[in-house]
Amino acid sequence: MIQNAHAASSRPWVAETEPPFLRIQKVTKKFGDFTAVDEVSLDIYRGELFCLLGGSGCGKSTLLRMLAGFEAPSEGRIEIDGQDMAGIPPYERPTNMMFQSYALFPHMTVERNIAYGLLREGVKRDEAMSRVADILKLVQMTQFARRKPHQLSGGQRQRVALARALVKRPKVLLLDEPLGALDKKLREETQFELLKIQETLGITFIVVTHDQEEAMTLSTRIGVMDEGQIVQVGEPAEIYEHPSSRFVADFVGSVNLFEGRISVDEKDRLEIDSAEMGGTIHVGHSTSCTLDQKVWYALRPEKVRLDREEPVGEANRARGMVEEVLYLGGQSIYKIKLDSGKSVKATKPNLLRHEDDAISWDEPAWISWGDTAGVVLTR
Amino acid sequence: MMRGGWTLPVLCVLGFVFLYAPILSLVIFSFNASQLVTVWGGFSTRWYGELMRDTQILGAAWISLQVAFFSATIAVALGTLAAFVLMRFGRFRTRALLTGMVTAPLVMPEVITGLSLLLLFVSMEQLIGWPAGRGMTTVTIAHVTFCMAFVAVVVQSRLAGMDNSLEEAAMDLGARPVRVFFDITLPVIAPALVAGWLLAFTLSLDDLVIASFVTGPGASTLPMVIFSKVRLGVSPVVNALATLIILAVAIGVAIATWHIHRRMKEARKD
Ligand SMILES: Nc1ncnc2c1ncn2[C@@H]1O[C@H](COP(=O)(O)OP(=O)(O)OP(=O)(O)O)[C@@H](O)[C@H]1O
Ligand SMILES: [Mg+2]
Repeated sequence: MIQNAHAASSRPWVAETEPPFLRIQKVTKKFGDFTAVDEVSLDIYRGELFCLLGGSGCGKSTLLRMLAGFEAPSEGRIEIDGQDMAGIPPYERPTNMMFQSYALFPHMTVERNIAYGLLREGVKRDEAMSRVADILKLVQMTQFARRKPHQLSGGQRQRVALARALVKRPKVLLLDEPLGALDKKLREETQFELLKIQETLGITFIVVTHDQEEAMTLSTRIGVMDEGQIVQVGEPAEIYEHPSSRFVADFVGSVNLFEGRISVDEKDRLEIDSAEMGGTIHVGHSTSCTLDQKVWYALRPEKVRLDREEPVGEANRARGMVEEVLYLGGQSIYKIKLDSGKSVKATKPNLLRHEDDAISWDEPAWISWGDTAGVVLTR
Repeated sequence: MMRGGWTLPVLCVLGFVFLYAPILSLVIFSFNASQLVTVWGGFSTRWYGELMRDTQILGAAWISLQVAFFSATIAVALGTLAAFVLMRFGRFRTRALLTGMVTAPLVMPEVITGLSLLLLFVSMEQLIGWPAGRGMTTVTIAHVTFCMAFVAVVVQSRLAGMDNSLEEAAMDLGARPVRVFFDITLPVIAPALVAGWLLAFTLSLDDLVIASFVTGPGASTLPMVIFSKVRLGVSPVVNALATLIILAVAIGVAIATWHIHRRMKEARKD
């Protein structure tokens, strides 16, 4: 799996074995009164594939454009490989960007598009052409070298744009929604290609996306953004299993949230009194919270067990009525209306091709989960 | 077919007759042997020969072509610059005012433009001694001022349609701003420059009013000569000249059409 590719030894953000390669320190960007990026601080390490994840208009592109030098930060400092980037124009930065619109030069062939950056750098024509040929092979576009951009398909254009940004071997490669225009299948293939290329060349990638699945597949770490702020930074599994707030839990994947109050707070367990759940939620660990504090309990749908009969042994259970069943092929999503009125989502893998006895809508059913299945959120 | 389906074709034919009958009669009468414009006296190419010997008309045509060529070229350079500044230098304070001022000559009555330029040239001559007298130079300058506005509008709309990130991408790949302009911006807006140049050339060739104000002795443009000739009575020589101009325009349009057609076929083939 992808996670294995970035083995524990290459996780400098955990052990701080090396200094960060790219430092963003309290960077703010204002357009008039509007704050597009709000005091963002981030440390990104050499060879990382860092994903900036967030909804539309949260400031991802603006942050990326400040790294590339197209916008100047209103406040704060950006440092790449120990060098302060303030006042350095885009054409002198050790970064290259792959644009969301690809921005291929329409009057140049694929070859000349890719060679453009090398020639501006002063690389000799022969050497430039051989490097172009190499990179074309890497992105499997050799036979299209003489075409103009308008003679290519969307996926091919995207690969040319990637090749053009890669060929200069920048210290940092910035990709703004690189796969946004591709269909799902091509997207998945390209994600793997992107990973392969990144590992071959060892360049630090920063990828902007609003697709959480893409972020999960690609990245060593994810930075989740909301309204110009970074709300959580972590490895994909950490973001998914230990979201720090309701926003993150809801944005990354699907989640059930139960509002409640802490009724028992002991060293290694909590109880939450939740009217939405219609009783008490038992939690097998403690978090920093106080008695009677208002909290939210976040529970992923795949962690919910669904039964006809009242289950025994699980720490938490509730009864409800199946409201809706959505068949998705590999799995089905059940919506269960609890006696308290709250709707809960549960997913169930479709292990058999025909399941005559499957639970279906308008049936009473029990949901249950263990005391380690969910997370207690205070925000 | 519906009843009464013939009205549309008939209207269409009438429309074309209305448009092209005058031109056709002009062409036919250019081959008239008779001195009288309205009386047919048999076929002859006599007036074409006479036209070739008419130094006044030929001289004026040569002046007009030169003026049109230079004013179109200068107008394209200046108009592009103006459009580029208006589109790319963000929102500076006087931008709205400047946009208005650049496009004002489009709607300014020609008489006013001509008169004000004449006053300018006269007072400049008194103050700094340049331009000394009026002639081709002053006509060219005058044509640049109003052609520039047309070029600026054409180029501006092309720049507005151009993806900003193209220029950013070039800069990102290591090109300095001036380099970006010549490598990326200029080729991308080239069709607008060609269109602007042709438009300016035609406008300059066509202008009578402004040229009449600012020209001097010995620098009459073709429209001025034709106009003064016609005032003395329509001469068949003018018919011959007009026919030649129509022929030139027709050939130009044919070449352009053929070129576009070929381009489209190429694009489809790939
Ligand atoms: N030049 C600008 N002037 C004023 N406001 C701007 C400018 N550029 C961006 N903004 C605003 O800043 C906010 C963040 O924009 P940004 O492009 O960074 O969003 P994003 O996270 O990339 O969104 P998307 O996923 O839709 O691309 C938006 O609300 C946008 O309207
Ligand atoms: Mg964006």
